[in-house]
Amino acid sequence: MTKTLEEKIKLIRSPNRLTARQVIRQLISDFFEVHGDRLLGDDPALTAGIGLFHKQPVNVLGINRGSNIQQRRELNGGAVRVTGYRKALRVVEAAEKFKRPVISLINMPGADASAFSEEHGQSEAIADLILKMGQLSVPNVALFLGEGHSGGALAFSNVNQILMLENALFSVASPEAVQAILKNRNKTQDASEFMPMTAQQLKKIGLVDQIVVESPSNTLMDRIDKAIVNSLNELEKLNGLQLKTQRFKKFENITQI
Amino acid sequence: MSHMPEKNSWQVCQHCGKHVHDLQWAPDFRCPFCGVLQRLTADQRLKITVDAGSWQKIDLKFQTTNFLNFPGYSEKLKRAKTTTDDEEAIKIGIANIGGFPVAMGVMDSHFMMGTLNTTVGSAIKQIMQIAIEQQLPLIFFVASGGARMQEGIFSLLQMNTILNQWPDLETTKHVVINVLTDPTMGGVSASFGFKADYVLAEDHAQIGFAGKRVIGQTTHEKPAENFQTAEDLLTHGLVDQVVARENMRTKLITLLRLHSGDDVHD
Repeated sequence: MTKTLEEKIKLIRSPNRLTARQVIRQLISDFFEVHGDRLLGDDPALTAGIGLFHKQPVNVLGINRGSNIQQRRELNGGAVRVTGYRKALRVVEAAEKFKRPVISLINMPGADASAFSEEHGQSEAIADLILKMGQLSVPNVALFLGEGHSGGALAFSNVNQILMLENALFSVASPEAVQAILKNRNKTQDASEFMPMTAQQLKKIGLVDQIVVESPSNTLMDRIDKAIVNSLNELEKLNGLQLKTQRFKKFENITQI
Repeated sequence: MSHMPEKNSWQVCQHCGKHVHDLQWAPDFRCPFCGVLQRLTADQRLKITVDAGSWQKIDLKFQTTNFLNFPGYSEKLKRAKTTTDDEEAIKIGIANIGGFPVAMGVMDSHFMMGTLNTTVGSAIKQIMQIAIEQQLPLIFFVASGGARMQEGIFSLLQMNTILNQWPDLETTKHVVINVLTDPTMGGVSASFGFKADYVLAEDHAQIGFAGKRVIGQTTHEKPAENFQTAEDLLTHGLVDQVVARENMRTKLITLLRLHSGDDVHD
């Protein structure tokens, strides 16, 4: 039943893949979307706002890749731009102010590669979001719907708990980029043999807290709902300082090889 | 780029191709013909930056291993150790600059392009901790191509673990200065690279997140000639100053003096 990396990639990049917008539409009521970073513009790849999750107000960051060519062009294929990170930062700061949990929904190749983002300080925008997410005194949870690579994805996942759909991937670089340094040393063409990037591998090293089984697909949304509820319930028991410490330790422990 | 042969008095400038004699390079390693800098090793950097004899090296907490058994990594590490005669892509320690004691981290692009891995990340966190404990100003000389791919997600997680610790530096009330040198890219640029109180960029340095080639391929537009140079970043308001290597030490001394809390008499 376990899929090869190639099959996983095909699945998570498919136009039929569950999107962040769909999750928001089905699980968040009274969703109020916010736009713009107040500096340069609005990144449509990031759907950000507040809404009710099981009657509790939450702040949501959802990354969209688009389901057809037109959308993919508009959304930059989910490669969040400098404006997206700064919009996200606004929403995360609001979550701190109003004491609400943050939920990130991730399916993106990585950060935007463009002169625009570079010239407007994408590096620092990513760093600022990573830093702020780490300092939150409210719970934050990331759900990987598809893939997430590099610092771009990390900015949305410096969180208390990471959830992944069973075929999702999280890596330092895209599997293709990893394959490129492996060159011909890797006959199976499966980069995950050499570094943990699948949900199952990342659960083993303690990075991922819950894996959400994908089939049957008609009840997937219920399982996603339950997984997020589980995480938030667990984190609810911790106070602001404990949440910060838990987050700090979670990542520090993993990196102690 | 600037990997100099060991014992020859003449080298070819990697930028303009002209032959340059040792005596013409020293001590700042700027090509006398085109004015472009060679990348420095950590030792060369320390030599032109800190007060003579003041460097006290701090040992790294652990040795890098190929714990993922990533093909080719062990050989690369071995080669890097031989060519640089160093353990990893960073040196940390305490030194005086113009008489001011500082904690320092100096990255070395000659060691696997200064990439950020578990050991380098731990060294960065270690020197941050020392700056906090000993109440010292902190200076990073950054030179890095980004996260080290061969350690996968463990390299990536250095970015957030460094940043999760970063606000602790605020408790010292001492100045933190980052000097971005060639190259400062990817996971280093997008983590602590720009988070210091002052961000100086060495002239001609390439600084950015995504590589120029990748951007060219993604956007199908050729980036401008000066794209991602220190000078370009200055015009976009992303760094405080572009500083010529020859003036770097003096600039650092000025900043340290301005933040020393002493009355300034000169």
